Amino acid sequence: MANETMMEKDMQKVTAKQRVIRIISLVLVYAFLILMALIVLFPFYWMLNSSLKSLEEYRWSIPSLFPHKLRFVNYVTAFKAESLSVSLGQLFVNTAYVGIVSTILSLVVTVLSAFAFARLEFKGKNILFAGLLATMMIPGELFTITNYTTVYRFGWTNTFIVLIVPFLVSVFYIYLLRQNFLQIPNELYLAAKVDGTSDIKYLWKVMIPLSLPTLISITILKMMGAWNSYIWPRLVANDGAHSLITNGLRNAFTDTAGDIDYPVQMAAVALVSLPLFLVFIFLRKYIMKGVSRSGIKG
Amino acid sequence: MKKIKRLVFIVVFALLAFGLIGCAGTNGGNSANFTVPEGGYDGSEVTIKFYHTMSAQNLQPVLETYIKEFNKIYPNIHVNHEAVGGYDDVRDQVSKEITVGGQPNIAYCYPDHVALYNLAGAVVQLDSLIDSTESDGANGQLGLTAEQKADFIQGYYNEGLQFGDGHMYTMPFSKSTEVLYYNKTFFEANNIKVPTHWFAASEDDDTSLEYVMKKIKTLDPTSFPLGYDSEANWFITMCEQLGSPYTSATGEHFLFNNDTNKGFVKTFREWHQAGLVTTQSIYGSYTSGLFVETGVNDDGTPKQRSYMSIGSSAGATHQRPKAVDDVYPFEVGIAPIPQMDASKPKVISQGPSVCIFGKSNSQEVIASWLFVKFLTTSVEFQAEFSMVSGYVPVIKSVNSNEVYAAFLAKADGGANIASLSAKVCLEQEAAYYTSPAFNGSSEARSQVGALLQKVMVSKEADVDAMINKAFADAVEECKYKAE
Amino acid sequence: MVDSKQQWKAWLYLAPAIVLLLIFTVWPIINTVRISFLEGYNAMSAVNGAHFKFGFGNFKKVVEYRGFATCLKNTMLLCVLTVPISTFLALLIAVCLNSIKPLNRLLQTIYFLPYVTNSIAIGMVFAAMFKIVGFSVEGIEQSTSLGIVNNILAVFGAGPVNWMNQGSSYGANIAVMTIYIVWNALPFKILILLGGLQSVNKQYYDAAKVDGTSKVRVFFRITVPLLSPMIAYVVITGFIGGFKEYTSIIGLFGENMGPVGSGADKPLNTMVGFIYDSIELHQGRAGAAALILFGIILVVTLLNLYVSKKRVHY
Repeated sequence: MANETMMEKDMQKVTAKQRVIRIISLVLVYAFLILMALIVLFPFYWMLNSSLKSLEEYRWSIPSLFPHKLRFVNYVTAFKAESLSVSLGQLFVNTAYVGIVSTILSLVVTVLSAFAFARLEFKGKNILFAGLLATMMIPGELFTITNYTTVYRFGWTNTFIVLIVPFLVSVFYIYLLRQNFLQIPNELYLAAKVDGTSDIKYLWKVMIPLSLPTLISITILKMMGAWNSYIWPRLVANDGAHSLITNGLRNAFTDTAGDIDYPVQMAAVALVSLPLFLVFIFLRKYIMKGVSRSGIKG
Repeated sequence: MKKIKRLVFIVVFALLAFGLIGCAGTNGGNSANFTVPEGGYDGSEVTIKFYHTMSAQNLQPVLETYIKEFNKIYPNIHVNHEAVGGYDDVRDQVSKEITVGGQPNIAYCYPDHVALYNLAGAVVQLDSLIDSTESDGANGQLGLTAEQKADFIQGYYNEGLQFGDGHMYTMPFSKSTEVLYYNKTFFEANNIKVPTHWFAASEDDDTSLEYVMKKIKTLDPTSFPLGYDSEANWFITMCEQLGSPYTSATGEHFLFNNDTNKGFVKTFREWHQAGLVTTQSIYGSYTSGLFVETGVNDDGTPKQRSYMSIGSSAGATHQRPKAVDDVYPFEVGIAPIPQMDASKPKVISQGPSVCIFGKSNSQEVIASWLFVKFLTTSVEFQAEFSMVSGYVPVIKSVNSNEVYAAFLAKADGGANIASLSAKVCLEQEAAYYTSPAFNGSSEARSQVGALLQKVMVSKEADVDAMINKAFADAVEECKYKAE
Repeated sequence: MVDSKQQWKAWLYLAPAIVLLLIFTVWPIINTVRISFLEGYNAMSAVNGAHFKFGFGNFKKVVEYRGFATCLKNTMLLCVLTVPISTFLALLIAVCLNSIKPLNRLLQTIYFLPYVTNSIAIGMVFAAMFKIVGFSVEGIEQSTSLGIVNNILAVFGAGPVNWMNQGSSYGANIAVMTIYIVWNALPFKILILLGGLQSVNKQYYDAAKVDGTSKVRVFFRITVPLLSPMIAYVVITGFIGGFKEYTSIIGLFGENMGPVGSGADKPLNTMVGFIYDSIELHQGRAGAAALILFGIILVVTLLNLYVSKKRVHY
């Protein structure tokens, strides 16, 4: 009896100590996360801060941390965007179209390739994979001239194809997804084979749900790519009907001396980023849901 | 390891295989020597494409208005125009399009862009078009008349001839220069004269910049009396004013490493180290921000500011202090920049020119020329474009345009500062110079800017050794980049 | 394992990717290799029918560049500094984020925000943080603004440090670059690692909890090994990206690639900076530099792969 109470007391002590440690570590974790969040958040804050300044204040030698007078009119100017040869709405529709189509196609190609690399055995697999990785190591800017010649010969200039197809395959994403697929135990695949499940069905029913977080990440990155791409669209699709958002906004708010009206430009950027941001918020749920269903690994 | 060996083997093999394919240069037509076909413009239906950088809100409507005017004379020439980002974006776009023969007909250009396009022989020499007496398809001659030619401000027109081969490659479109902005209110209150030359000939040479800067420094010790926007412009303009070599379009390109240049660079260093002058990059922010500063510190002393600012004439509105209750805290004066020799003034010519690209259909080239000629010689267009853009017209007769004359007449150092700036520019039409253009001229420009910057701020003890090395390094860098 | 049915199936799945890569990636690489062996190649002259001698002239020219050693050193240094720091920080943030319940959604949203932030804004922030405005030769006392970081340092009685103005030390410049690159890379890495963490089975953690294993131990013994494929990915792509660093330097230090007063030296130039400089007029030289860079990245990546083969657990 005495022994047992001793042990109980010991246990209580331990749990009390553990609780203190847990609370301290929790505080530390939150402090760390919030500090890092503030640091990461700063540029975003700066974008909003700048977007509400007058050009004059923006040019101050000492940048102000908060606009002296909030100029919401910048957003009105940006929204009207009278200087744009293409309306903001049209730019948005173009970009969304290119973003969505290229994301979907890119996901299909990436999933198939990653599956082949992660699950199938074929001759030259390792060499091919190393070769793919090697292509990432050449600065892409060197591709521009040759690719420009290629799409010009194909007669693809000023089409949506030229904005979607050339960058459909990204070795970065194939590699990423392959890593994820490799985490899914092979036993499941072999079991499925025994059951006579087709590859595609297996992919759809097992692999894709299990790698959903990564697929969502790829979706986000790809969509962002469409939003931010500038040099290539400028070069190959500059006829207005196919203009993308960054091209449209890049030099749109320039005053006559060639100085860019950065506050209005920032306001425009913030405006067009808003829908994207909402999509992210929506998708984020799925990243975190992830694979909480069942014990797959092992 | 075996895999790595195989990979290395494949890479090496690929390198050799593709390296050996060697060159198969495509033959693009060398269109530099354009011959005007007999009959000039035959009225045929053509579409021409014009790349520019008019992203500003109100410039494109002006252009469009005058395209309509142009189409009243030439209904069959269709002009598609497009704002392609900034000047460098235009260059990047056009140079890639040239590789597939897809270049536009007309583009905004800076001289070094044309030197680049010329490697492909893509730019049309304008001489035969300018001199052509063939028909322009509208009861006139295709070329420029003697009056039209004489109407161009000489310094602007000559920019097209800066390529070392005596041929004309570009037409001036709209221009700007550097001017001296000064705090007129302060100058008048303290009885300071507007400086006309750089260096003080004697202690009391009160029209020299040196004297004025020192006087301002004694009045407001925390100030930088002068803020100069662009080090590169300063260096090149000094070479020009002193008649000292800078660059050449032919033969040895980089001539700026000489004792005269080392001399003025050293003086500017002394000025900077004495707190008399700063530049945009050294200050770390727009020098116009220093110039328009009117605030006071907590202890009542004035905040750090400048009382003179040398910058682009097209940026006049940035050099104006913020109005408080519709009153400007001080009046801005604008004057030509200081000179070395008052009888031979030199100021830099900046701003876009246009060039015309070769095409297999000679009518397209002729139509492009007609459009360029229309824009550059039309008094109404030049006047309106200048008033909206802050640049100045390239032809003299604009001065007699009623609307433009009214614009100039209302010039003041406050609400109508843009008029004042334009007026000061136009008064200096004889002083404009342009630098030689060749592949490497933009590198030379950025190197002399970096050089002046380095010398001004350097803290090294042996100043002369530092200056010698900075010059030698700059030339070496230029040569490497150009060859 | 290698049966013929799997063979053709694999190639079938890979076909779309391979076709597109051949056209838009492999062909340009071949072209780059070709022009890198054509001495003095430039596309404009090529249009005009110029012929170029085959040889190693471009490579020679690259190696002879007076700033070549600087470019190489900076390229290496930035990689070696930024990849471990950003990977470790991202891992820590991802794990912490994964372990908390309250505020979880809010914090996650915040860590996504950089994706919708324009890059111009990021560059501007850095100027505001590190740049001293109104710098004068008499000393920093004359400045108009010291920058946010120096203001924070002042609270702790330290500084001010000359981060990136004229006369700033190479070390300070590299520190600013490192912070910038890490900052820029963090959101992507957090996203990837957070995604990866979701695929890690919670059972392991439950088991560890029962055992009463300490958190640090859990981190190194369970989280890191289970997450190792994603960590390997982040490290390898981080190195590849780091070797290509260039735009951020231009963004912070301008075309001179160094603090004001660097003259012709470009003390912060990198290999890709050199490639950009050459690409307008000397594509042959740019191609040669790219191949040299490729060789370096290849060696490092093979090393990385070799290490990860030993350490990564699938």
